Amino acid sequence: MSEKALALVVRAIDWSETSRIATLWTRELGKVRALAKGGRRLGSNFESALDLLTVCRIVLLRKSSGSLDLLTEAQVVERFPRLRIDLAAFYAGCYIAELLADWTEDDDPHPKIFDEACAALRVLGDPPRATGLRLARFELVLLEELGYRPVFDRCAVCAAGVADNAAAAFSPSVGGMVCAKCRPGRRDSRPLGPNTRRAFQALAESDDAWRRDWPLAVQKELRLLLGEYVTYVRGRRPRLLGYVEKLSLPGHRGTPADSGGGDREPPSGQREDQAR
Amino acid sequence: MERLGAIERAIHELGKLPGIGPKTAERLTHYLLTADRSQVVALTDALRALKEAVRPCRQCFNPTEEELCRICRDPHRDSSVVCVVEQPRDLMALERTGTYRGLYHVLQGRLAPLENIGPEQLTIDALLERVRRGGIQEVIMATNPTLEGDGTALYISNLLANSGVRITRLARGIPSGGVLEFANTQMLADALEGRRAF
Ligand SMILES: [Zn+2]
Ligand SMILES: [Zn+2]
Repeated sequence: MSEKALALVVRAIDWSETSRIATLWTRELGKVRALAKGGRRLGSNFESALDLLTVCRIVLLRKSSGSLDLLTEAQVVERFPRLRIDLAAFYAGCYIAELLADWTEDDDPHPKIFDEACAALRVLGDPPRATGLRLARFELVLLEELGYRPVFDRCAVCAAGVADNAAAAFSPSVGGMVCAKCRPGRRDSRPLGPNTRRAFQALAESDDAWRRDWPLAVQKELRLLLGEYVTYVRGRRPRLLGYVEKLSLPGHRGTPADSGGGDREPPSGQREDQAR
Repeated sequence: MERLGAIERAIHELGKLPGIGPKTAERLTHYLLTADRSQVVALTDALRALKEAVRPCRQCFNPTEEELCRICRDPHRDSSVVCVVEQPRDLMALERTGTYRGLYHVLQGRLAPLENIGPEQLTIDALLERVRRGGIQEVIMATNPTLEGDGTALYISNLLANSGVRITRLARGIPSGGVLEFANTQMLADALEGRRAF
């Protein structure tokens, strides 16, 4: 049976001299994996549509369970040029691809996740200081759609309201904010500042709160907590998180001193060298 | 598992080669079975030499049997220009255009964060060292125009930003998302000709 869909390429590996296996996050069918025969040849009917993080219109020959679907057509609909000129945006885009490829289930459509991923990829890096916040908006939409929306409007343990300026903490294992009374004994909890809490709520509720000029300290805390939550829910730390934590902070210039190599710290002195 | 006999092993090994299906592997095996002993020995010697004698060039990482590859040793090549490619096959494709007179640097891959391939797996440090030693005026980024290839070029050009070296990128004679290896000669020649500042 042949089906049409709009797809975002979240992974593509060379399979043979001429063919590739692509993981496609489609708006209509959710995540699918398909074999693209001739997918490595320039000027093939795939028109280089199978490059990572390209949106393309595809025709898919669905196979019976157990075997790979066959990609019979793919035409480029959209590319995201900013990912090719801003290193932070490049890594942030790869992080989106990683979450979509490795976390979500096959054949479980969520048009909202698809639209949100494309919206994020379109603006990542503009302005550069907002990359981490724009990414956070994507992660919060993803978490909500997958049923893991973190709780910030009350204590996630006792459900009591928490006053705007009251001390609170965030615990990945309870899925959100914990009040001062419930915090003792929750070893994975970390302090949650009132402004960070506000930022989380705003980002979860509105699709343009990431454009606001949140203080650097808030952005840092928010990225740290969100990274821990995503890691907890997913069961392992995303590979790209190390890059994202470093690159998405304001003041990055896309220099290697900022990008480092995953979890590695940049060589000492390099940052100063670059700044001069 | 039962141990495979010599014929099955040959079919199995040949079948791993790109472009060779089980049928072809079987045909080749039976051809080799009946071929002259000297021919088969020559083939195995050639294959062994490939692994034992060939190593990356000390300067550019292009495969060679000497310390320095043929291109690095050639006094007529312009050593002030270095063209950065992902793999030796890309270098060969560019050489076929016959228009480029500079040297190369083979990265031995591209940044692929999703596959866990970072800068330390590539020959980027050696490239920086080459630039630091001086004598290079221009570095041409000829990584594939895929997202990962562009990301790799971006990463390296950021590293070289303050080095005083001119950094250029191949023009888009090659469609975005494409792969150098499969581009035709004219396409590559055009792309080299129309390179621009990064
Ligand atoms: Zn409580
Ligand atoms: Zn060489």
